Amino acid sequence: MTQAGGAGPPFETVLVANRGEIALRVVRTCREMGIRTVVVHSTADRDSAAVRLADEAVQIGPPAPRQSYLYPPAIIEAAVSTGAQAVHPGYGFLSENPDFAEICARNGLTFIGPPPEVMARLGDKALARRLMADAGLPVLPGTRDPVSTVAELVPAARRIGLPLIVKASAGGGGRGMAVVRTWEELVPVFRAMRATARSVFGDPGVYLERFWERAKHVEVQVLADEHGAVLHLGERDCSVQRRHQKLVEETPAPRLAEGMARRLAEYAVAGAKSVGYTGAGTFEFLVDGEEAAFIEVNSRLQVEHPVTEMVTGIDLVREQIRVAAGLPLPVGQEEVRPRGVALECRVNAEDPERRFAPCPGELTEFVPPGGPFVRVDTHGYPGWRISPDYDSLLAKVVVWAPEREQALARMERALAEFRIRGEGVRTTRDLLRGVMGHPVFRAGTHTTSLLDGTDEPDGDTAPAG
Amino acid sequence: MTETRVESADEQRAVELGSLEAEMTRLGAEGAMEILCRSLSGVVGLAPFPPARASARFGCASIEVEWASPEPVPAAPAAVAAAAAVEEPEAEERHEVRAPLVGTFYRAQEPGAKPFVEVGDAVVAGQQVGIVEAMKLMNPVVAEVSGWVTDVVAGDGERVEFGQPLVFLRPGGQE
Repeated sequence: MTQAGGAGPPFETVLVANRGEIALRVVRTCREMGIRTVVVHSTADRDSAAVRLADEAVQIGPPAPRQSYLYPPAIIEAAVSTGAQAVHPGYGFLSENPDFAEICARNGLTFIGPPPEVMARLGDKALARRLMADAGLPVLPGTRDPVSTVAELVPAARRIGLPLIVKASAGGGGRGMAVVRTWEELVPVFRAMRATARSVFGDPGVYLERFWERAKHVEVQVLADEHGAVLHLGERDCSVQRRHQKLVEETPAPRLAEGMARRLAEYAVAGAKSVGYTGAGTFEFLVDGEEAAFIEVNSRLQVEHPVTEMVTGIDLVREQIRVAAGLPLPVGQEEVRPRGVALECRVNAEDPERRFAPCPGELTEFVPPGGPFVRVDTHGYPGWRISPDYDSLLAKVVVWAPEREQALARMERALAEFRIRGEGVRTTRDLLRGVMGHPVFRAGTHTTSLLDGTDEPDGDTAPAG
Repeated sequence: MTETRVESADEQRAVELGSLEAEMTRLGAEGAMEILCRSLSGVVGLAPFPPARASARFGCASIEVEWASPEPVPAAPAAVAAAAAVEEPEAEERHEVRAPLVGTFYRAQEPGAKPFVEVGDAVVAGQQVGIVEAMKLMNPVVAEVSGWVTDVVAGDGERVEFGQPLVFLRPGGQE
């Protein structure tokens, strides 16, 4: 993993166009690479950990994301005026926005991510399904094109069968999807989803897909450079979800059918090659026994990337930056040798007693766990005020162990150690401890329906994936 | 306004009037009137909205200002000598015109041109006091309130952040 010929860092200055734990995560790797960092922030994040650690910080707008983290002119202006050469978008916000990537390019900035045209094609979920089917990946029975009228809807739904899922083409991050279990629900759900898609994503397109009730959500991390090399870094099981939001992730995926992990990895590499993907990306699949089906590609870094880093020893942010600078991947596929088991638990500032309502407030006590093979990615600190304007993710507790049983014990120990207090602050920590002790989860046979009991209808939560 | 500590309002008034007469004699009519007018504008500037009525009398040198609402500022007869020097307004009386977005601040329409405002200038709400250039677009910076420019704290050509103070105003009523 050394840089060729002792050359300097790939960029002198990188602007981080994000907030919270991921902004801090990117700043840290830049530091290690000798890259100067500029963090943009809203007025709500003036005292954030990322702002404190960065070499420079620029306040770009008020708390509302539309006027700050989602507002390209302010971000570009900050990047140009601070002399940044590249922009790291993190996850969420503008990370999968091809227009933003193009604006970066037009202003002489390198967007750290895949080419805008690749992002645009994969961002259209219906088109991505079609592209991947053409590349030989198995896809769920569903509509090839978006459905726009009830006249098209009914025959398509009959062909697919129930239960099915209505998805917004421009959706993502667990938003813009609804399950249809009875024929009576079909038309109302379809109409509601079109309206939601139009208002939330600015694109009314929806498509239909068979819904696999009891499937595992397994994804493959890929890394590709601009010289045609495509690697996979193994898979992650993200089946523990609530309202299509991931809570716990682990690698390798437990209890997959013989040869399934290898098949998924091959699908992901073939898919990435077929569209000319570069940088870090994730191919998501549903797996039910011997069957697998492609769902979507996330053309960005993901929340759960640390578990892959823990077992491979590869710093994904570092590789994203190097690839964006045109450098070749430092290793070949045969040199990627995942070792052991890694788990991640997402500790959110939400109240499980109150339908997981976000809990903004000031942290009075905040003592993350430590000890052997524990990594906590968090922007929290005593005195930090959790803002109601953003995603409720507060900390990611990541553990590594040589085998799963030990990793579970280690995670349980780490979660128990985590001390978080604040006026009105509640977290999902105890829910996660419950998952760690859940017999089905411990057995590794869990599917996405594990937490059905705590499921609520689709809420308006910020994307995280 | 005055620093003199006295037992009662009546006594204070006597002290003020005594010193006032001596002061007026020393200044002469024109000088006294000039100071009186300057004091009046200072008193008017105490509230962020225009007064309903203002008067400066010369005979017994008093200034009267009436605000219709909502918080009448007591307009006690001011000692001319004390009011002659305009005091630095306190923090709550200072209005900060802030950068509406991140960019480069310019004081004038173009290089070499006269700045939009100088310290001491009177501005009315809505008046342009500068420019913030972002992404090659010139965004006017306007005063949200009427008043007087007490300071221009951002330098010409300086990179500014969202919400950064650019110009300080002492709010005061002007139509």
